Amino acid sequence: MSAPSSPVGSVVRWGLNLFAAAVLVYLFLPIIWIVAFSFNEPKGKFNFVWQNVTLDNWREPLKDEALTDALVESLKIAAISTIIATVLGSLIAIGLARYRFKGNALLDFVLVLPLTTPEIVIGSSLATLFLDQDITRGFNTVVIAHVMFQISFVALTVRARVRGFDWTLEQAAQDLGASPMRTFWKVTFPLILPGILAASLLSFALSLDDFIITLFNAGSVSTFPLFVNASFKNSFSPQINVLATIVLVASVLLMASGTLIGTLRSRRQAR
Amino acid sequence: MNTPNKNTPNNDFSRMAMSRRRLLARAGVIGAAGMSLPALLAACGGSDDASPTTDAGSGAEPAGSDAPTAGGGGGSLFFENWPEYVDPTEDDLTGTVDRFMAESGIDMNYAETYNDNVEYFAKIQPLLGTGKTIDPDIIAPTSWLVGRLIALGWLDKLPIDQVPNVANLRPDLMNPSWDPTGEYSLPWQTGFAGIAYNIDATGRELNSTADLFDPEFNGKIGMLTEMRDTMGLLMLAEGVDISTVSTFDAAASAFEKLEAAKNDGQIRRFTGNDYLNDLSTGNFAACVGWSGDVVQLAIENPSIRFVIPEEGGTSWADAMVMPKGAANRDAAAQWMNFCYDPVQAAQITAWVQYVSPVAGVQAELEKIDPELAVNPLLFPDDATVARTFAFANLAEDVEAEYDARFAEITGA
Amino acid sequence: MTISDPSLDSVDSPDDDSDASGDSPAAARRPIDPERIGLGGLLLAGLLLVLVGTRLVTGVAAVIALALTLGTIVMLIVTAVLGGPEARRKIAPYGLLKPGMLWLALFYLAPLVTLLRNSLSTLPSRFAVKAEFDWNFGNYSTAFTDFGGQFQRGFGYAAVATILTILLGYPLAYVIAFRGGKYRGLLLGLIIIPFFTSYLIRTIAWQSLLADTGPIPNVLDAVGLQPLLDAVGIMDGDKILNTPAAVIGGLTYNFLPFMALPIYVSLEKINLNLVDAAKDLYSGSVRAFFTIVFPLSLPGVFAGTLLTFIPASGDFVNQQYLGNPNTSVIGQSIQNQFLVQNNLPVASAMSFVLMAIITVFVVIYSRFFGTDDLA
Repeated sequence: MSAPSSPVGSVVRWGLNLFAAAVLVYLFLPIIWIVAFSFNEPKGKFNFVWQNVTLDNWREPLKDEALTDALVESLKIAAISTIIATVLGSLIAIGLARYRFKGNALLDFVLVLPLTTPEIVIGSSLATLFLDQDITRGFNTVVIAHVMFQISFVALTVRARVRGFDWTLEQAAQDLGASPMRTFWKVTFPLILPGILAASLLSFALSLDDFIITLFNAGSVSTFPLFVNASFKNSFSPQINVLATIVLVASVLLMASGTLIGTLRSRRQAR
Repeated sequence: MNTPNKNTPNNDFSRMAMSRRRLLARAGVIGAAGMSLPALLAACGGSDDASPTTDAGSGAEPAGSDAPTAGGGGGSLFFENWPEYVDPTEDDLTGTVDRFMAESGIDMNYAETYNDNVEYFAKIQPLLGTGKTIDPDIIAPTSWLVGRLIALGWLDKLPIDQVPNVANLRPDLMNPSWDPTGEYSLPWQTGFAGIAYNIDATGRELNSTADLFDPEFNGKIGMLTEMRDTMGLLMLAEGVDISTVSTFDAAASAFEKLEAAKNDGQIRRFTGNDYLNDLSTGNFAACVGWSGDVVQLAIENPSIRFVIPEEGGTSWADAMVMPKGAANRDAAAQWMNFCYDPVQAAQITAWVQYVSPVAGVQAELEKIDPELAVNPLLFPDDATVARTFAFANLAEDVEAEYDARFAEITGA
Repeated sequence: MTISDPSLDSVDSPDDDSDASGDSPAAARRPIDPERIGLGGLLLAGLLLVLVGTRLVTGVAAVIALALTLGTIVMLIVTAVLGGPEARRKIAPYGLLKPGMLWLALFYLAPLVTLLRNSLSTLPSRFAVKAEFDWNFGNYSTAFTDFGGQFQRGFGYAAVATILTILLGYPLAYVIAFRGGKYRGLLLGLIIIPFFTSYLIRTIAWQSLLADTGPIPNVLDAVGLQPLLDAVGIMDGDKILNTPAAVIGGLTYNFLPFMALPIYVSLEKINLNLVDAAKDLYSGSVRAFFTIVFPLSLPGVFAGTLLTFIPASGDFVNQQYLGNPNTSVIGQSIQNQFLVQNNLPVASAMSFVLMAIITVFVVIYSRFFGTDDLA
């Protein structure tokens, strides 16, 4: 929008900018706390009161063994469930975006439902299923639950990305004599790959951070969020803040590099 | 225990949870039943010479890092216990679990993941209730839950015949009401619930359960989700003898009082172990708390006090039991035998600061730390015993009424 | 089975368009329409899995049902192999959809049926593991009478938090979209970055920031805002932690990006020339905003509302860490009844009611806006 000329307009404009800046600060307040307290030297079992600056926690980020185990468990669950969900979800997305067919609207609605169901309902309903079927809740049930909500997420995200895809390219490739399989791997797949990667990264993050659904279906398995929840009651070690900060930094780097690659790619294509 | 009383800087996480005993000896902050124990101010000199334990060799090694091989082929063992309930390996002291592993050769998994009786019961119910087994070989529920688990048939009898040291069990804990034959359970620790408070926030010493309802502390009071401790204090304040109570009506007015306090916003939160955090940060002025826990917090934060209220406090017991189908019975027997050796038990007591179920601990503790050996919170004198009451075993239908009403009030 | 989706704007390959309907001459030529096989097989397999998953069929019947489910897959393959290129093309989407959709049938739809059945069941004894189905509608009346307050607070807090996310998120999205310039990407990243740390740790951070002796009450006190906030009921005396305001504040914080991002997306689509023209026309930025920009950004606001309100209404983490016993919400009651009190029937009833209310919202929403903005 072009700058308004009146003085009132510029007050409003700057007021709005300041307000937006304040909201950003608000968004970062707890993050500052989390990072700062990774350098705290707590007195007692709870790392909630500021004492002294120390680097000790960073020298031994894996010192809290149970915490590390929980994080590893979370990473395993996230990796397995993301792989399954990415395959199943991408297939759905291609099916939905590529073809027009009967039942499209119904299936579309079924796909959206899990995303619009409160986590507590998903978690408790799955737990009733496992209870009814005499399935002991543990690692596998958590993976099943995560795949469940990731499928919808991947499918809808990938579908949104491939919506603008020019499917005539496929036709062109086949007209030129390429087999359908070859067409898919050489033409279609590379083009939809960025969308799939973005969706799988985000669903990895969703799995890593899921608490409510996991709580209902974890049995005796402890994931990172479950461990943090229990730690609040027993002993909140600074290593929790350290690992949270590491995950944060790693995610930011991943996102930044993704953006960078995307930018370079589009520049190359533009050339 | 060779305890050179040095204060060398060290980067261990465990430093923050230094031996309760040594810190206690240094800081000497404790109020038992309102009385402080200035005797504890004495430096920990007495501990240096007493070295009753085995294996000084692995002393400096962190917990669980060395695979114990001493006994060879001892098998494995999984004990799921409440947090902060055994002396850890820290500084130059070897914790009880590591001493046991070194001596027996058993690979022991000791997890501090038992947080709440009701929650834990709900977690194991779908498994034990359908004939499946759970992972731990030993768990340590509170006595009332032990009684329920026995009644449901979800426990195995302990291999008592392999635990000769069971002879050291305190006489008053033999054949307790929750386990009349004494075949299913062996107490881990016993202790008291009373009032914990932060004198910075209260501005005065407390000594009565009525203080929890003082409008001055509106929104600054915590209560435990452990029904028998919270309701025990309230009922005692109402003049009900909780050790003989058998009806719901006896508790009705205490429940009403609790509900009114909750509705008025007097009660800030119902908590499990997390009351310690709220207490030390000042979110709670006062709360219902457990004796040993508060003593440790008092070492870090001298403003924290613990008192058995004048109306009476509750006494409780957590007992080791083996869930049905637990695999490692021999290893469990060895562990129990180890812990019922007064020499070992004294090490645990010195750290956890609760009342040991093992007779003879007092004599052993005298060798380590004479001041602790006369602490009435660890070795209750007649006055303390007279003011603390164990909650009676409730009939199942009565208990159901209590539970339902308590759950209703605690919100959620 | 002739559901088609007129609103679907996906780009199909040209040769698809000639034969989009099952009643075409091509279908008449063949005895069986591959599309029917595809869709029918998918729905049948889904239904069978739900039946097996919910134990509505058990024993031999379950084995037969599972065999039939496998049969539908075989049928799909057979049709594809025998039917030639056109049949393959028609049946392809069902093949692509099938694995994922069957997963959802088994682990999303079937659990909902189980939940419904559990909500109409009774626990035979206090410590029984499984409830017995006996059309016990009493669980629903218990859910409403004992937990009515929790329902009200759950939805009430979520509604207030949603409004707050709009008030905070809209200006933020607006500034980024229209004034971000080349820093748009970076600013958007700044909205997302805080959410790369664990939800629980963020909430615990707020618990610590808001604690009675924590930084925020201290600052509020120092700048003299405390009496004012106390007077308007946001603070309770000198405390803000463990008040309704803290719960709502936590919800607002945790769901703000889910509001800001969809609003940004819809603002970004707006043609700036349109806005400039409107400014000339209406002679004023404010009027131009309300006549042009705001209406065009409404889809984003509505999508954000859905993405914020739904998870917020079922959330219990914020209440658990930031609330008090008088602020308990429905999510917490479900969690407590299910995982602590072991009262499966009542927990299921509450869960199902929550689900039903939310689904009504979603159906109304998708009638008006479709589902495209949610991804």
